[in-house]
Amino acid sequence: MKSVRLWFKKDGLAVYISHLDMNRCMTRAVRRADIPLWYTEGFNPHPYMTFLMPLPLGQSGMREPLDIRIEEELTFKEIKNRLNAVMPEGIEIVDVAKPICKPNEIAAGEYEIDVEFVSEGEAEGFAAGAKAVIGGGILNAEKRSKRGIKTVNLCELIRSFEIKQEENLVRIKTVLAAGNSVNLNAELLMSALYNEFSAEPEKTEIVRTGLLREDLSIFE
Amino acid sequence: MYPKEIEKFLLKVQKPGRYTGGELNSVVKDKSKVDIRYAFCFPDTYEIGMSHLGMKILYSLVNAREDAWCERVFAPWVDMEEVMRENNIPLYALESGDAIKDFDVLGFTMQYELSYTNVLNMLDLAGLPVRSKDRTSLTPIVIAGGACVCNSEPIAEFFDITLPGDGEEVTNELIDLLKEYKAKGASKHEFLVAAAQIKGVYVPSLYEVEYNEDNTVKSVTPTNGAPEKVVKRNVANLDEMFSPSEFVVPFLEVVHDRTTVEIFRGCIRGCRFCQAGFLNRPLRSKSPEVVEAQCKAICDSTGYDEISLCSLSTSDYRGLETLIKNMLPWTIDEKINIALPSLRADNFPKELMEKLNAVRRSGLTFAPEAGTQRLRDVINKNITEEEVLRTAAQAFSGGWTAVKLYFMIGLPTETEEDIRGIANLAQAVVDEFYKNPDKPKGKSVSVSISLASLVPKPFTPFQWEPQDKPDTLIEKQDFLINCVTTRKVNVSRHVPWTSFLEGVFARGDRRLADVIETAWRKGCRLDGWSEHLKKDAWEESFAENGIDPFFYTARRRDYDEILPWEHMDYGVTKKFLISENKKAHEGVTTACCREKCAGCGANKLNGGVCDEIGKTVV
Repeated sequence: MKSVRLWFKKDGLAVYISHLDMNRCMTRAVRRADIPLWYTEGFNPHPYMTFLMPLPLGQSGMREPLDIRIEEELTFKEIKNRLNAVMPEGIEIVDVAKPICKPNEIAAGEYEIDVEFVSEGEAEGFAAGAKAVIGGGILNAEKRSKRGIKTVNLCELIRSFEIKQEENLVRIKTVLAAGNSVNLNAELLMSALYNEFSAEPEKTEIVRTGLLREDLSIFE
Repeated sequence: MYPKEIEKFLLKVQKPGRYTGGELNSVVKDKSKVDIRYAFCFPDTYEIGMSHLGMKILYSLVNAREDAWCERVFAPWVDMEEVMRENNIPLYALESGDAIKDFDVLGFTMQYELSYTNVLNMLDLAGLPVRSKDRTSLTPIVIAGGACVCNSEPIAEFFDITLPGDGEEVTNELIDLLKEYKAKGASKHEFLVAAAQIKGVYVPSLYEVEYNEDNTVKSVTPTNGAPEKVVKRNVANLDEMFSPSEFVVPFLEVVHDRTTVEIFRGCIRGCRFCQAGFLNRPLRSKSPEVVEAQCKAICDSTGYDEISLCSLSTSDYRGLETLIKNMLPWTIDEKINIALPSLRADNFPKELMEKLNAVRRSGLTFAPEAGTQRLRDVINKNITEEEVLRTAAQAFSGGWTAVKLYFMIGLPTETEEDIRGIANLAQAVVDEFYKNPDKPKGKSVSVSISLASLVPKPFTPFQWEPQDKPDTLIEKQDFLINCVTTRKVNVSRHVPWTSFLEGVFARGDRRLADVIETAWRKGCRLDGWSEHLKKDAWEESFAENGIDPFFYTARRRDYDEILPWEHMDYGVTKKFLISENKKAHEGVTTACCREKCAGCGANKLNGGVCDEIGKTVV
């Protein structure tokens, strides 16, 4: 038995696949690729497969980790090629490697967010406003957790935030807390900002470009 | 791929995966290189439609042709319908995202009477008139197949063509004909007149229906050379029949998401309430080798880890033991679970049963259908209480603790005693659990009764029977619930009003078209979903059109009445159905086809051959 970390890209049509559906989708892809998955023992055996940091519905991911266990020796290249031959549209294996970091070392996610407004004026207003609010350090929003709804200052969960405006487009580069204990969904941040300025953008595209450790080094 | 203008709404609706397309094995072709664009329309949600084997077969069959491209279309859920209507986005096909009003064929599968309003809604969302006569151009031709078209009359005004029987051969013949008529610039009428000459094609507009003063049918007269009787299509050899080697693999969780392969069509049992058992005669089997190869191909192309061997009564498949023995080695190796729906566990070898459950254990269900032996004889459900209890005992000793029992109420000749019998049988199953000396410690047993209501259907021996009114059914349900005295038995019941509406359309006539259209205009759709069934709107629609729905359900019909569907021929003779109806009232059973041929007449569709009885003189 050998642990393998798959790194995949999920975009285009695949952003509409929910996390639960991803699980089934990847299990089947691995089966089609004829990769000898290790199955859990017990009453209802199932393949060992763990998404380290689920991606919310509607967001793209450029480099998302998925741990599997396999029974036979296969080269990383072989695994990658076999999987990419059977992947549905929108999902691609970009890398296969030995797991280096422990799953609980994930502390942040890096995002690129594009917001399209009807007019340049709206974009300009929003960009300036958002910059001021984040800089000011207070953006309260209701956050749902297992223990119920509570009000949280989202700024405490933002590790870095850059915003610029190009015509009617607002482009954000940000690093947000991610992981089991503290986590900020980029969508929550954006809807809090839209709320703050009563903004009604045409389109929001959220791309998670990578995952980071506590010291902001790359999660490998 | 969905149309561009829908993108910004996708994250605002539930389950956007229903509307995106792009699933593995979905077929994308170059539209400039095909002659016929075929939209396979399923008049219910994505999750239901994607579970339907018939769609998978026809999708692959049409796409196997170079000159045609088949795409999938489902009924949008209410949230998406609102988005589409507000933003003028017409109903599109999932593979191309193109509006289906420009397609050549819209092929609906009609599995369930309560999906009728969905057809109208989908045609309207496509931007097409709902009535056949108002769609004047040659294309799109709107056709329907599936069980419901055995009585196409209530939907006759909406469809251009219906296809009773097996669709595998006739679909190709119809596409060939349409391609020819399209090329020569023919009119829709010319095409329909020619199509009516293909065996198994019913063109409702070529038949004139007259009614008696009492609203029964007086006559059905074919015109333009259409045949007097439309004989259903019958595929003679299932081994040679087209069968897909790939299934589209949905991202969303759908009802049945697995490899499904038919093992035979038809049924030897002859349960008198069961429409499928009569519509699909004569019995035709696939050989085990063919079934196995098809299962393997689909598992390889999909990555599915479950296979369902599908038929009306799996344990009656002669090749079952051979098939399972051959399949077990590779399925166990690949951790694939084999599901055998409709298995009678009593005549299935125990050691094979254990091996089948080696991968994953499935539930245990029985369908005694009626509570007493007397009533089971009436409906010809040849299963005894001893058989149920013996199998339950066997299952309990194997570690099962939950059993599901299927029953029906509203059966002909039913009394309180029969309904009490349902509770008694469930109690007997509970008792069987406690008789087991090795029963698991600390575990209780759970017996679930699923209670359906009989809807008498065309082409069954019960086609002349009155159907219980909703109020009567509710009384019977309540009576049963009062008879159950233990918490170990729970009862889930159907909504009687749903069965009532199903009954109206199952045995309805053409006069119902106005009712369906009125109801749809009042907002009725997704009637099969109890949260969307609008009882008041339906009642108003019947009243506004001067139609008494009980005329179709509550009345006992005479044997010599012309039934609205009698110009359809499903092989089984009226004489046979009458004799079965009489035997039901006498409480006399008919042996299954394997014991003795009952002479139903369906083998004439297959050159006199029925796989069960071999060759006979026609």
